[in-house]
This record gives sequence, C-alpha cells and structure tokens, in this order.
Amino acid sequence: MDAVYFLVQQMMFFSIPLLIVALGGMFSERSGVVNIALEGIMVAGAFTSILLISLLQSGMSGQILLLIAIAVAIVTGALFSLLHAYAAINLRSDQTISGTALNMIAPASAIYLARMIQPNGVQQVQFTNTFRIEKVPFLGDIPILGRLLFQNAYITTYIGFIIFGIAAFVLYRTRFGLRLRACGEHPQAADSVGINVYKIRYAGVVISGALAGLGGLVYVIPTSTNFNATVSGYGFLALAVLIFGQWKPLRILGAAFFFGLMKTIASAYSGIPFLRDLGIPSDIYKMVPFIATLIALAFTSKRSQAPRASGVPYDKGLR
Amino acid sequence: MSDYIIQMINITKVFPGIKANDNITLQLKRGEIHALLGENGAGKSTLMSILFGLYQAEEGQILKDGVPVLVKDPNDANELGIGMVHQHFKLVHNFTVLENIVLGVETTRHGTLHMDEARQKVMTLSEQYGLLIKPDALIEDITVGMQQRVEILKMLYRDNEILIFDEPTAVLTPQEIDELMRIMRSLAAEGKSILFITHKLAEIMAVADRCTVLRKGKYIGTVDVKSSSPQELAEMMVGHKVDFKIDKQPAQPGEPALHVRRLSVEGSHGDKKAVNNVSFDVYKGEIVCIAGIDGNGQSELVYAITGLMPSTGEIKLNQAPIDHQSIQKRIKAGLAHIPEDRHKHGLVLDYDLQQNLSLKRYKTIEMQRHGFIRFDKVRSYAEGLIERFDIRSGQGADTSARSMSGGNQQKAIIAREIDIDPEVLIAVQPTRGLDVGAMLYIHEQLVKVRDEGKAILLISLELDEVFQLADRILVIYEGEIVAELDPKQTTPQELGLYMSGSKRQEEYA
Amino acid sequence: MSKIRKSLSSMSASLVAILAGLIAGFVILLFSNPSSALKGLTTILIGGWNNGMKGVGQVLYYATPIIMTGLAVGFAFKTGMFNIGATGQLMVGGFVSIYVGVTWTFLPGGLHWVVALIMGAAAGMLWGMIVGVFKALLNVHEVITSIMLNYIALYGINYMVKNSHLFDSLKNQTVNVAASAVIPKAGLDRIFYIAKGRLNDPSAVNAGILIAIGLAVLMYIILNKTTFGFELKACGYNRHASRYAGISENRAIITSMAIAGALAGTAGTLMYLAPASGMHIHVEEVLAAQGFTGIAVALLGMSNPLGIIFSGLFIAHITVGGFYLQSLKYMKEIIEVIIGLIIYFSAFSLLVRDLIAKIGKRKTKKDKQSSKEVTA
Repeated sequence: MDAVYFLVQQMMFFSIPLLIVALGGMFSERSGVVNIALEGIMVAGAFTSILLISLLQSGMSGQILLLIAIAVAIVTGALFSLLHAYAAINLRSDQTISGTALNMIAPASAIYLARMIQPNGVQQVQFTNTFRIEKVPFLGDIPILGRLLFQNAYITTYIGFIIFGIAAFVLYRTRFGLRLRACGEHPQAADSVGINVYKIRYAGVVISGALAGLGGLVYVIPTSTNFNATVSGYGFLALAVLIFGQWKPLRILGAAFFFGLMKTIASAYSGIPFLRDLGIPSDIYKMVPFIATLIALAFTSKRSQAPRASGVPYDKGLR
Repeated sequence: MSDYIIQMINITKVFPGIKANDNITLQLKRGEIHALLGENGAGKSTLMSILFGLYQAEEGQILKDGVPVLVKDPNDANELGIGMVHQHFKLVHNFTVLENIVLGVETTRHGTLHMDEARQKVMTLSEQYGLLIKPDALIEDITVGMQQRVEILKMLYRDNEILIFDEPTAVLTPQEIDELMRIMRSLAAEGKSILFITHKLAEIMAVADRCTVLRKGKYIGTVDVKSSSPQELAEMMVGHKVDFKIDKQPAQPGEPALHVRRLSVEGSHGDKKAVNNVSFDVYKGEIVCIAGIDGNGQSELVYAITGLMPSTGEIKLNQAPIDHQSIQKRIKAGLAHIPEDRHKHGLVLDYDLQQNLSLKRYKTIEMQRHGFIRFDKVRSYAEGLIERFDIRSGQGADTSARSMSGGNQQKAIIAREIDIDPEVLIAVQPTRGLDVGAMLYIHEQLVKVRDEGKAILLISLELDEVFQLADRILVIYEGEIVAELDPKQTTPQELGLYMSGSKRQEEYA
Repeated sequence: MSKIRKSLSSMSASLVAILAGLIAGFVILLFSNPSSALKGLTTILIGGWNNGMKGVGQVLYYATPIIMTGLAVGFAFKTGMFNIGATGQLMVGGFVSIYVGVTWTFLPGGLHWVVALIMGAAAGMLWGMIVGVFKALLNVHEVITSIMLNYIALYGINYMVKNSHLFDSLKNQTVNVAASAVIPKAGLDRIFYIAKGRLNDPSAVNAGILIAIGLAVLMYIILNKTTFGFELKACGYNRHASRYAGISENRAIITSMAIAGALAGTAGTLMYLAPASGMHIHVEEVLAAQGFTGIAVALLGMSNPLGIIFSGLFIAHITVGGFYLQSLKYMKEIIEVIIGLIIYFSAFSLLVRDLIAKIGKRKTKKDKQSSKEVTA
C-alpha cells in the first residue's frame, strides 16, 4: 500500500505540469494557432522563476517565495509567447517555423544568461527546495485520500486542479470560450458576426504561454534541485497529451495522468517491488507515451477532433 | 425621413490591379426587394462587402436614412441594422443551431452563457416567419436549406432591418427556391428591406421590385422590374445584344465510348451512398449532360470515373475495363477531365504555364530522356498550345499560373485536356465563374470536340448550359440517375421536377 | 528574367533574416558587455578566419552534418512536408553507423566506412519513411509523427546503447568505432591547418564535406532536372492537382520522406564517424541540435540544395566564430540564440518574399494593362 501512495504522490509531480501545459496548448489551438513552442516557453518560464528563487532564497523561503516564482513564470511565459502570437497572427507566418524558432531561442538564451549572470559562467541554476508540504492540516488526516493527495505535496498540484476546473468552465460555459472555439473552427464566421479574430487568437496564445511558463516551473520544482535550461521534452509531451486528449479538457486530464504515470514508473520503478520484478527498463517506460500517441493517431486521424482552422493563418483581406 | 433606408453613393473600391467598384451608386427603398444583377466579376459581392463593413471603400459614402454613416466592420453594420446571408454560409459546423445564432451577441449572466432568453426569441421568430429549425441540432447534421434558414434567423435575431442575400439560390432545389422567395416576400411585407444579389434573371422577375445592374465594376442603371423584361436586363448585364445560342448541329452518335454499370461510391458519412448503382453510356460524337442540384453525387461520380475516389461497379472506356486502373493509366487510355475546381485540381498555381500545360505529358517519350526532362521540348509544346488556344498571359510560357486571369487559366486547362486527344472528355462546370465571352468560347470548343467524334460527359448546375449543349440529359438525384431526357422534348420546369426528386421515370424507379 | 528576379527576391529575404538575426545578437552583446560588443560582432562575422586555414577547416567540419540535415529538411519541404524529425533520423542513422563501425570489423578497410555510411543512411531512410507512411496512408500530420519519433529514437537508442557491447559505462557513451570505419581525411587536413612551430595543427575537416556537397548537387539535379523531381514538387505545391494529373501523391510523400530520412541519417553517420573529433553518442536526454539547425539552414537556403550548401557554410562559420567569442568573455550560446532568431525572422521573410513578388506582379500587371491587353 505504501508503494501505491508513493506512486500517486510521485505521479502528481509528473502529471500536473503536463496537465497545465496541455491545457495551455488547448487554448492556443482551439483559437486556431498551433503552438509547438510549448517546450521553449516552459524553459523560459522555468528559467526566470528558478533564477528568481535562487536569488531570493537567502532571505525568503516556503510558499510565499513559491507564489512569487509562480507569478514570474506566468508573466515570462505570457510575454515570451507574444513573439509567437505576433508571427502567427499579425504576420501570418508559418506557425511551425516560428514555434521551432522559440524552441531554439529559449534554452540557448537560458544558458547564455545563466552563464553571464552567475559567477564562473555556471550554467545550472541551483535552488533549495523549501516548498514541499509534509502534510496539509486536517485534509492530510483523511483516511486514504489524505495520504494520496494531501501529504508530501506541493501547492502547485492544487493549482493544477484549479486551473483544470477553470479551463473547462471557461471553454464551455463562457462567452469568451464560445468565441474562442468559433475562431478555431471557422474564423470567417466569427469575423462576420463582429468577433475580433486577431484579439481572440492573441488571448489564446497568451493563455497558452502563461500556462506553459507556469508548467515549466511546476515541472522543475519537485523533480530537481537545479535548472539546466531544459524541461527534457515535456513541452512536446504536453503536445502529445493535447492530441491524445483530442483537444478536450476531460480527456486531456486523463491523458496527462496516463502519460504522467508512465514517466513516474520510468523514474521510480526501482523503488516499487512489483515493477522492479517486471524488469522493464526505464527507457521503455519513457517511450510508451510517444508510442501510445502514435498508435492513437493512427487509429483516430480519420475522425480527428482537431480544430478545423488550427494552424491556418487568418487573413482579413481574404474573407 | 428619406425615402431610402440605405444609399451607397459613388462608391469606388480598388484592389491591386483592378477597380472592383468604379463610382457605383445604389439606393435601397424601405420595404422593397432590390436585386443586384451582374456577371461574375462585375463587383456585386465587393459592393455588398463594403456595405457590410468587410471592406472599406476608397471613395464615396454610405447614407442610412439620409445620414452619412461609417461602416468599419460587421459590428458597425449590425448596429445600423444591416445583416447578410453570405454565399458560403458562415456557420460553425460543430456548434448547435442556437449557438450559431447567438454567436457574437451572446446573453450572459454572472459571466456565464445564458441561453434561455435567446432560445425563446429564436423560437418566436422561427414561428413568425415560418423558418423551421432544430435549435439543438449541430450544423453539420442539418440540410443546406435549414442552414440557410439559420443564417436568416441570425439576421432577424439581431433585429436587422436591411437584409442582404448573396446568391442565395445557388445551393437550393427549385422547391427550396420557391420557399425562399415566399420568405423574402413575407420579410418585405413586415417592413424589412432586402438586397438580393444574383445573376439569374428569372428569380429577379419573380421576386424583385427594382433591379440595379453592374458590369465590369461600373454602374449601368436601375430599373423597375415590372416595366422591364429579361431581355433588357440581360443586355444591360452583358453590354451588348446577347445571343447565347451557339451553332450546333444535331449529334451523330457512334460507338459507345464510356460504359458505366452499377457504379456506387461510399458517402463521407458512411450511412448513405454518394453514388448509388448508376448505369449509363456515352457514345462517340455526343454530349451527355448530367443535370442535378449541387451535392447530389455529381462530384463523386466524376471522381469515381477518373479514379480520384474508389468505387464499385463497372467502368469501360472503348470496351476496355478501367475501373481498377490507376489515374495515370486511365489518362493514357484516353480519359480527359476538365475539373470542377481549377485551383484545387486543374492547376499547380506555383508552376508556370508550360509546366501546367505539360502536367499530363511530362513523362511521354518526346518530353523526357532517361527520366531527365527535355526543357526545350516542353517549351515548344507549350508555345504551340498557347498559340492554338489563344491563351493570354504576361510572360508567355514562363507566366506563373497564379498570375493568370480565371478565363485564361480555364483555357489552359481545356487546351491541355483537348490536346491529350481523348476518347472521352469529362467537363465539370467548365464555365463556372467566367463571363459570357469566355463561356461562349468554351461552349464552342466543346461542340468542336464532339464534332470530331469524341464522347463528352458534361456536368453542369446551370440549366441554360444544359439546354445549350446537351444532346441527351441524365438527371441525378441523391446519387441516383432518375431520368433520361431529350433536351428538345423537355422544359426546364419538367427537368426541375426530376432534379428535386419529385418525379422519377419508370425505368429508373 | 522572371527567374532571376525570383531568385534575387528569395535571396534578399534570407539576407534580411540574417541581418535581423545578427542585429538582435549584437543588441544582446551590447546588453551583456557594451565595451567589447563591436569586437564580439566582428569575431562572429570573421568566423573561421579567426584562426587561419585551420579555422576554415573547422567551418567545413561543422558544416558537414548541418548541410545534410538542411538537405533533409529542404528536400521534404519541396514535397510540402515539414521535416522536424531530422534530428531523430540523424540519431538513428548515427547509431546504426556506430554499430556497424564497432561491430562489423570483418569488412576490409576501404569498405568498412562505406558500408557503415550506407547502413546509417538506410536506417535514417526507414525512420523517415514512417513519417511518410503515416502521412500518406493515415493522414497524420508529419510534424506530430516526427516529434513522437524523435523521442522514441532518443529513448530507444539510449536503451540500446546501455544494453549492448557498444557502451562505455565509465564515460556514459559509446565506445570508439574501429579505425577502418572512420571517414578518411582525403588529404584535406594537409590544406586546412595552421603551423605550430614545426608541427602542423590540422583541422577536423574530412571527406564528409565532399560527400555532403556531392549529395547536395545530386539533390539539385533530382529536383530540377528530372521527371521525378517534377512530380515531387508538383505534390508539394498542390497535392490534389498532382493526383488529378496521375501522379501518385502517396508514393511521392513516402519516397520524399524516405530520401529526407536517408539524408538526415547520412548527417548522423558523417558526424559520428568523423575522425579526430572522437564523437560518441552520449547517453543523455537531449535531442541532437543539428537536426533543428538544419531547419535554419533549409530556410536560409530557400530549400534549394545549392543554396543549402552556402547557408550551411554560413551557419557553421558563425558557429565557429562563437567559439572565439569566449576569449571576450561572451558565452558561445549566443550563436544558438542568433540561429534561433534567424529562423524566427525567416518566418517573416517568407512574407517579405511574397511582398516583393507581389510588387513585381503588380508591376507586370500594370504593364499588361497599359499595353491594353484584354484578359478574359
């Protein structure tokens, strides 16, 4: 039973960032802009916020510092994604190309800046993890559930769930959500009823940037003690989650937990007896999400739920 | 108050290279149905897009009730009470009918969507004007006719009083057209003012009070429909006395060239077949026309014969079966195809004219050696065709296909297809979007090919074209052939009955 | 005339992207350390020449794999495919060539590296073909398939390296390949060197660059002179029209991705079998950067194989320049930032090119109208 608790607690560390980033990607793609820059934006968000933590941690610690870092990660991600939004929306350039560019710029800049700012040209940004919550008061004492969710946890986990709830609500229950979906499916229709497609798409991309930036921080905090200008493909994995989840919040939640579980097993299986006995090496578990996505794509592509106008620049002049 | 609810005075709109609207004036009276007539490219849609705020005019002004107004975007138009049903419907396919109607003017409560009031208002309007809809059905699941009613309700829901209809009848059956006319009249009777864009004279005569005619971006005149005639309107539209008739002798059918039996094509939704058990022959030296309303399986039928879509059944070309052959082999066997969409299928727009003209020939002995293209041969071949078919372009064989005019693009396709020296030529809406001059040229070419003893299968949505060219008419309805008619023995009205499925010949039952 | 104008306008677009990227890079240098920013910029621009003929040789050495990945991206571009999977194809090709290089020592000296090269290319080809098959037969977008395959390649290769005799667990990397599997220097080291006292200090350049240039020329001929290339480009421009004209678009997509994969696989072989460098596959969770640099190379070369030779040399040139930046207390990663920025700006410059083309067209249209030519 301890193994299960351990597994679930660990799984949160891997699943929540995937969930947050994939939900971000959902807002971008459902507004009609493909965002393969999620990886780069995660790196950018993680870099500034971790750097901030490493600079402030001598005088500050715990949840306050984490909340400040979260704000910084969100703002960084949102600002960085503006580059993508400008290229994709105003200039109608190829969204894959500009996304690729961001994915290159972010880690290179992070290393460059880290080495310029830190003494001796060190590229890793070290930080002390003072953010883990041993046990949430009251809630942590609930039988079973308490140990699963409210012990050995981070507030980022709860933030992740809150974001999920808000995202689903915004997408399906609000005017903004309705208009966002219209822009991703049929921007000409949205335009003809007076919706500003450019504005909505900007909103979609910036939300994705904010969430991806946050996701970068959320990924690094529980899994490492330094930041080395990489989120090891997590942005791309989130993209896979988004596709596997068919651009729908609830399915994205499921996919994020499935992929997170695979990652958890890959990194922690040696600590869990029955998995250790299976003898499957960690590299195989790491491959599983990607292979699963490929297989899912192969079977569902004919009736894919991808937003129809996703990736297609909207040109007012051509309406 | 001014007699006119909307006036567009001296409107000029320039696009790179062309003056789409040149000093045009249009005055719409309160409560009238006003037709806007013109050929393709005359500037009708541009003018309406300006009124609806999609484009801004360089010169001229718009008056509402005699007061100058600015229409910068569709929101402004909406506030002025102007609504528009676009030729291509602007509906989100996976939204419900109700969501589509409220999109852009949603009612919210505490920040969340609140649909109850909207639903009530929509249903009231729906009853008031007899616009039958299913509010909770998805757009992709309802008929084209209902989609159009949704578009009309979108305008009414916004309390628009000036309603623009852009070519609304192109996608409708004759029955649906009658229904639409009835709806338009009842809207006008309730005090709505209607602008009706069309190039079909009969519809204007049936429903419009007045008619403004445009030609090549210029204003020609406005006439009272009751005191005018179709002939007068046609002359105003084209600019000279029009004799749409071309010289065509009776057909001399020979051997069967195209032989189709029990041909079926799966539908895209899986439940219903797009083409169902179709059998017919086309003989050498005749033009057989498949008549029908858009979307009744014509495209799929053509795709099946040409090999672009898989099918079951039997297809023979000059007695040789081709149904299991590749597209390339079918072309080699003598099947030529003037496609419905010249930009999608007909041309590689980024290739130049000579590459497009040799698109089906680059592999022939004379144009390649060991897999290497012989560029000199390609050029001389293209230049020959350019001269023979009078294809006009900026830089001759080197012109990028994208930069050519629609008429010349179509000429290039026709030149290429005719020069294959085909046994069977399939021509799908060969004059779509062209003006009368280009149309007549293409009709003449098709008759010439027929007279050389080739078989022609023509697919057309325009009844005028059907009666002009066909030696025999096959009527297609919901993927099935429902009648075979002799154009000399039948009338457009009778043809319409078959096209809408209300009538069916016994041998096709 | 129009062709000259076309190539001029596309070249100007690349130059605009490069210029914008360099200016942005200069601004970063200014912010980091204003006093030596100008010197930094000139160091980047002088690139390989900072160190005489050895530096030039280093440029050729670094250019080799990125010309190949540039070709892999550019060739697929011509058929309308965005090959973001070059990095995975490169790793697969590199891994197989190392396997052959270490294991198949029974092959005679002159043949061993050739077989390793061919096997690496073949492996890359298969990896690229998967993308083509998914696109052609299952209609799955190539970017998605490629991203998934990149990571499958990464983890798969890590697994195979760790669990085979190829693994040097102390260094956490693959063991050296046999000497006979190393690509010969073909005398290039006797041209590109600097004298250090009485000894020559040669660069790492080898026959790989000749192979890369040869393959680029071959791709140019295939694309521009053959019926096969005509078909591939037709599919890239308009797959519907190509199908209509009897060209098998599925075949075109699959073969084009296979060729692209083979090119990227060759990039991997030329990288890992290069002499002197002691290149090995490190077991780490990072995708090979050369695959993504190839995107920049292809974009700057406008997907033209001959253009790609030059853009590959240019990117290598500033990369080598980046190494010499470190003496000015700048970090060499600035070069990667600049390359990323160049990609970003070339996304714009496609637009610049269209704009130039449009202006050109407007001119010809005006000419046409003034000569009163009636168009139907």
